Amino acid sequence: MIEVKSLKKSFGKVTALDGLTFSAPEGQITGLLGPNGAGKTTCLRTIYGLLKADTGEALIDGIDANLEPLAVRKKIGIFPDKFGLYERLTAREQIAYFATLHGLEGDAGATAVQNVISRLDMDAIADRRATGFSQGQRMKVALAQAIVHRPKHLILDEPSRGLDVMSTRILRDLLRELRDQGTSILFSSHVMQEVAALCDQVVVVAAGKVAAQGTPTELCEQTGEEALEEAFVKIIGTDEGIAA
Amino acid sequence: MRSPVNIVMRKELKDALRDKRSVMAAMSYAFFGPLLMAVAFYVLISQLTDTSNVKIDIEGAEYAPAFVAHLERQGIVTRDEDWPAGQQPITLAIAPEWEDNIATAQPAKVTLTADFSSQKQRTDIRRVESAVENYTRQLSYIRLQMRGIDPRITQGVDLVKHDTATKGSKAAILLGSVLIFILLSVFFSGMNVAIDISAGERERNSLELLLSQPLTTEQLVWGKALAASAFAMFGGILSAVLIPFIFKFLPLHEIGISIVLAWPMILLIMLLLVPLALLATALQLFVSFRAKSFKEAQTYISLLLMAPMLVVFGVEFARVKNQILYYLPLTGQHQALLDIIKGESLQWGAMAVSAVATVLVSMLLLRLISRMLSSEKVVFGL
Repeated sequence: MIEVKSLKKSFGKVTALDGLTFSAPEGQITGLLGPNGAGKTTCLRTIYGLLKADTGEALIDGIDANLEPLAVRKKIGIFPDKFGLYERLTAREQIAYFATLHGLEGDAGATAVQNVISRLDMDAIADRRATGFSQGQRMKVALAQAIVHRPKHLILDEPSRGLDVMSTRILRDLLRELRDQGTSILFSSHVMQEVAALCDQVVVVAAGKVAAQGTPTELCEQTGEEALEEAFVKIIGTDEGIAA
Repeated sequence: MRSPVNIVMRKELKDALRDKRSVMAAMSYAFFGPLLMAVAFYVLISQLTDTSNVKIDIEGAEYAPAFVAHLERQGIVTRDEDWPAGQQPITLAIAPEWEDNIATAQPAKVTLTADFSSQKQRTDIRRVESAVENYTRQLSYIRLQMRGIDPRITQGVDLVKHDTATKGSKAAILLGSVLIFILLSVFFSGMNVAIDISAGERERNSLELLLSQPLTTEQLVWGKALAASAFAMFGGILSAVLIPFIFKFLPLHEIGISIVLAWPMILLIMLLLVPLALLATALQLFVSFRAKSFKEAQTYISLLLMAPMLVVFGVEFARVKNQILYYLPLTGQHQALLDIIKGESLQWGAMAVSAVATVLVSMLLLRLISRMLSSEKVVFGL
């Protein structure tokens, strides 16, 4: 369970989060939908303790990342806003690096790494160095790093950006599978279709606040619109920064 | 469970060893530094021991045939060929009044024209000067004797020089400059790795994810620092091992220098370099974790490299002598190395103090870096 309670955060004069409150329960995919600059990335970074909220708290299973960052980070898998690979390591080595950092070593570690490689259908590239990987292959490695230790919580920041149809499908299938296993998944996006296709719950963020919350259908009903896109535009009052 | 420090260090070492540029950088400085010194010394020695004739222009030779003959016996001869480009001619001009001056026991005028600041011609000029002085002395002796005066009357003080410089301490002057190479090799060899694992991490956008893993920034920084200092140490060991080999091949005995570095001493030198390698890495990480890109970090670090160079060269050339130097990081190691090479008694206590001081300063720096990486301002460049 990921809980965000009245988070406030400002950078100088810019207010990024202005009392954001929502929760991402287990076994559900929660989408954080909002235009660019709405505070999505700031919110996620606060949850895993890289940023410190001015007031309010972000809890993972009741633990505050600002107080016990290591305890929180053990429980989560992260697919960050920016992910870079170590170009001189093979895909397998990169994944193993993150597995060992989560305490998966020896045979258990090797098995976990192999499992995730098979699951993501990466055997062909597993022992190649990352130099020359395509965007989709890079995404797979980053995704494998995030889930290799089978976290109870998965946080993804715009995971589908720059991906082709096949890679997007793999990503969606994986997220659904993990959800069915009881993982609480929180991901940010500004892509309407993706949110509609995937999310059990949508949290619409605008200007650092929750503008609306509910299932995609509920959001449409609340606004009296047929399509989520129209509902979204109505909620945030503008169509700026949104991709269809 | 393996400690995260260990995990990070192993990964960084693996990564760095695959980076040919880093390995080359670590090797080349340690390799070419001593080699460069060897070539320089070789040239220096062959210049010092040069016994061939000095060829100069002599004007008015016809006025003083005896003087010119004397010069010739001293290896100073008239030049037939042209001076090479870029070299000022050395000219000795004998005044036409030579004959008269000698006859009336007046000082005979001889003018030496040369570029006295020229490094290359210094020995030549020196030899001309001493040949002339020699002749003057002979002349005055003869003049005094002819007047029935004991020539020793001109000698107020008989200065007897006892050279207490051991062969080892003469060598120290030479080796002082070699030491600088050994000390600096620690700073140069780990540099590339240090940049790659700090600024490089930021440049390839992997820093954020790494900082979100279940390990403290302290563990992360230590793992990285140990990996980079392993490279720094590698460079240090390489140059320390190479230098005695190179000296074996130099004709140092020709200038009366003997350098005997026994293996235990070389091991001691390596041991002294260990804390210094950690300090070098800590300093470099401290600077380059603030940089946003590899290039930016390189700029900062090349400025940073000036610091140890200034310190070592400063102490070396200003001949600063102070007991405090023995206790401080960097200068402590420098002094200890000097003592080792001079063959003087070693100050074990001071060596230990400077080693501990070096480690403490490194730990403090690494603590500061960990703090820095916990700050959102530094991490996200806010």
